[in-house]
Amino acid sequence: MTPVAGGVALNLAFGFSILTVLTLSIYARNGDQRLFLTGQRLALGISFFVFLATFILTYQLIGSNFNIDYVARYTSLETPFIYKISALWAGQSGSLLFWLFILSIYSTITIIQNQSKHHGLMPWVIISLAIIQMFFLVLTNFVTNPFMPTDADFLVTNGNGLNPLLQNVTMAIHPPTLYLGYVGFSVPFAFAISALMNRDTSPLWIQSIRRWTLVAWLFLSMGIILGGWWAYQELGWGGYWAWDPVENASFMPWLTATAFLHSIIIQEKKDMLRIWNMVLIILTFTLCIFGTFLTRSGVVSSVHSFTASSLGPIFLTFVFLILVSSFGIMYTRRHELRSKRRMESFTSRESGFLFNNMVFVVMCFAVFWGTLFPVISEAVRGTKITVGPPFFNQINIPIGLILLTLTGIGPLLAWRKTGKQSLIRNFTFPILSGLIGSAIFLFFGLEGTVVISFSLCMFVTTTIFTEFFRGVRARTNKFNESIFTALRRMVSKNRSRYGGYVVHLGIVFMFVGFTGHAFDKEKEFSLKKGETEHVAGYEFQLINISEAERPNHYAWISELRVIDNKGRFITNLLPEKRIYFHKNPDVNRRQPHSELDIHSTLNKDIYAIFSAVDNENGIAFLKIMINPLVHWVWIGGYILIFGTLIALWPRKE
Amino acid sequence: MKSNKKFIIMISGVIAVVIFWIGWVSLNPADEKAMATFISVEDLINDNINKRTKLGGLVKGGSIVISKTNYLECTFTLKEGNTEIAVKYDRTRPDLFKDGAEVIVTGQYLNGTFYADELQTKCASRYEGDLRDESSYNLTEIDT
Repeated sequence: MTPVAGGVALNLAFGFSILTVLTLSIYARNGDQRLFLTGQRLALGISFFVFLATFILTYQLIGSNFNIDYVARYTSLETPFIYKISALWAGQSGSLLFWLFILSIYSTITIIQNQSKHHGLMPWVIISLAIIQMFFLVLTNFVTNPFMPTDADFLVTNGNGLNPLLQNVTMAIHPPTLYLGYVGFSVPFAFAISALMNRDTSPLWIQSIRRWTLVAWLFLSMGIILGGWWAYQELGWGGYWAWDPVENASFMPWLTATAFLHSIIIQEKKDMLRIWNMVLIILTFTLCIFGTFLTRSGVVSSVHSFTASSLGPIFLTFVFLILVSSFGIMYTRRHELRSKRRMESFTSRESGFLFNNMVFVVMCFAVFWGTLFPVISEAVRGTKITVGPPFFNQINIPIGLILLTLTGIGPLLAWRKTGKQSLIRNFTFPILSGLIGSAIFLFFGLEGTVVISFSLCMFVTTTIFTEFFRGVRARTNKFNESIFTALRRMVSKNRSRYGGYVVHLGIVFMFVGFTGHAFDKEKEFSLKKGETEHVAGYEFQLINISEAERPNHYAWISELRVIDNKGRFITNLLPEKRIYFHKNPDVNRRQPHSELDIHSTLNKDIYAIFSAVDNENGIAFLKIMINPLVHWVWIGGYILIFGTLIALWPRKE
Repeated sequence: MKSNKKFIIMISGVIAVVIFWIGWVSLNPADEKAMATFISVEDLINDNINKRTKLGGLVKGGSIVISKTNYLECTFTLKEGNTEIAVKYDRTRPDLFKDGAEVIVTGQYLNGTFYADELQTKCASRYEGDLRDESSYNLTEIDT
């Protein structure tokens, strides 16, 4: 009975979404306040029914009601509790419902938060959000319904169980984080559309969506980093980013959103770039939907793909509709959008931002091109091509380095125009530090892009610290404050600026980590008990291979003792070879999985994979990778989160 | 106004350079692994193509032979439609590599054997349950 209620809740939500759009559209014409209030409540009603449906599905997943197809597919009686919940976003239809669920949370917050604000904007904001909800309601109601019953005349006694790869805590939180990011851009997008509909060109709406954008951006960044972290910990190819189409799909809106976050500063302060900002937010939102499309359409093959399904054309139509209608509205409002201000000089912060924006968009285009090149090539030349990481690296490394340079230059430029004197004063020290850095790195035998990248990292870091140092010194001199008080007050007076600098520092850390990739080493070999093997100055000795049966898998564990070339003991690594569903009588349904072990330090990671075991002869087949500086990427991630939180922290009233 | 023109020229210049750069890299990638063309096994054998290519197909049941001396070395038969080809691969095999698995191999064709240096298993069940058939459920039949 309850599953039926879930289906009905989705039906009702769909009905409410239609009513909301109708009511508010009429209100937009005749301005009857009662209609506005009704529309608002109807919109809350959509969200209410979506919440209800989500809770019902979660409840069924926890209660293992295998009469629902979705529950039988993604959980089993043995599935641990937390993964029963995470199964909600493990499959196609559940994840679409989950998208909708998050959108409904956001929509509810937006409506409640703005009950007494933005009266002019809200009707169209709600309409836009309701239309997006409606789209996902069409999908979950008519195309892939999560409440579909098991289509067999059987009693399903146990479900399939969640894919072991997904049974990892990171994997339980990575998709929701990413979704919170993806979906979060719906709100700024809705505000932008509403501002266009109202011909409202005041910088007011920009202010009201800044925080939203920042929140969505934070979640998207965290989602991307977590995804990389998961791949690194779990997939066993020793990397965290492979330029896979679906990774690219999350990276593209991140790029345009980052550009948007920078360029709205100019609109706030200078009232310039109005059209450009509109374009960026529309693109960001469209790319979010497009990303969802890429994952589900089967157009490009990817490790992340869901089974190819009929969703592709529907999503593509939606993407097309968003683009056409948004840009269509924008075109009709082009006169209002035109800004009277002009750029004054190349050496101004405005132009710094402008170039940063260009580079972000260019990078986004490069990624887009690489992702869709196989599709284009097949359509145009008829040959099927796959584009690998070397292609993306070749294009994006130079662009990334330019971006890094701009990160250092931008903050040193003054608004409007930077005088020659201050140019020299501001840049001498950072450039000097970068040059000294290059000299040192060259001395140590590094070369090429690596030196450029490390030197730029020095340059940018110096810039950031000089900015902090100057601000603090000014305050200590002026108000006679202690250094810490000065730092605290300075940051709290201008949170977005200094939070931004901290984020930049996080990015620098990540670049250091990315650059470390140039020194990766790997070796595949086999060992018997007691034998040793040398990899990049480390000695690996196989101490033992042990076996263990655990609740949902069987495991062979090889114990490796790692010693460095001076004979010092480093660590014991315990990579495992596991067989999931090991009790399944059908051998083909048992699923092997290599659980790796990593010894991680600031300097390098020692990464061990137990790829196969030969039981008869007691041989372990291993793959060892030495990955320098990977840890810096994760530290950079923490710094980035910390910086964004500084920028987001509410100002004291 | 004058300065605005300067900006437009500058921006268009940058865009032109970038498009040229992306186009150039697309046509002449620095690394041979940057791009690989997918071709059918039939074309590969008939035209005896020795370039780096990608093949997709199924691992023929029972064809996997693992070398006695080196566990990493393995040969198997790749089936695409009705054509078959011998593949040699000597690196760590992915967990999902088994009889009947759908795989993509990248490498070179030489004297009747395809020497692969990349082997990816393609697994539709990575996120989704298997295709909708009875065996995709763990079920007990009851009389209805």
